[in-house]
Amino acid sequence: MKIKERKRDGVVILEMSGKLMGGPDSELFDETLKTLIHEDCRNILVSLEKVKWVNSTGLGILISGYTTLRKSGGELKLLKVSDRIENIFIVSKLFTVFEAYQDEDEAVRSFS
Amino acid sequence: MSSRIEVKLPSEMSCLGVPDAVLMEIGSDLDCCRKALEELSTAVIEACTNAMEHGNQLDEERSIEIIFQIAELDVTVLVLDQGPGFDFQNWQPSEELMRERGRGILIMREFTDQLEFGRHNDGRFQVRLVKKLAPKSEED
Repeated sequence: MKIKERKRDGVVILEMSGKLMGGPDSELFDETLKTLIHEDCRNILVSLEKVKWVNSTGLGILISGYTTLRKSGGELKLLKVSDRIENIFIVSKLFTVFEAYQDEDEAVRSFS
Repeated sequence: MSSRIEVKLPSEMSCLGVPDAVLMEIGSDLDCCRKALEELSTAVIEACTNAMEHGNQLDEERSIEIIFQIAELDVTVLVLDQGPGFDFQNWQPSEELMRERGRGILIMREFTDQLEFGRHNDGRFQVRLVKKLAPKSEED
């Protein structure tokens, strides 16, 4: 997994690519979030557009990130979740927890 | 049509893309719904994750084996590891929504038509996953 970071209107957009599956991915995502929280960036939009698939360990990474940000007064939302990944969120009942958007403008506005 | 593909992998998470690639390649030769294959692939990736992590304890000396059996109406996948297995009969899913682990079996069960745990005839622990292949839809 790779993470590309950019900022827009006070929101940090993390563009993930590859496969989200735990192990080193977990450490990379945790470190990225810790650094952002340290820099007082707590509105995070995670784009899954370029993520091919997610396994249950990868879901755990997103849950951990969501929890970490909530505890620090921030929010983690999802952008451009593919049908394949959306199915995993649905069977895991996690779409009742994560806010998800297909449109980036709408997603960024939702933080204000 | 009926065919069989066997793949042996080390217990390294970086290899988890292999079963997905095999199933997508199989799908390119079949006139079937892509969603069904993606669901099967998601379930197989979970079975392989468990086999590497819980079965083989991520010991690189231990391998997992994946056997794909492709028939006209369904695909059967066997995932074999060298671990002790677990007591599926008494397995209970956690109700904690925000748990970070423990969704693998739930995902396997939701995305397959048959899911069985047991022993292969050579003694290795085996997960057997079966998915019916729906014909291609207009979305495919």
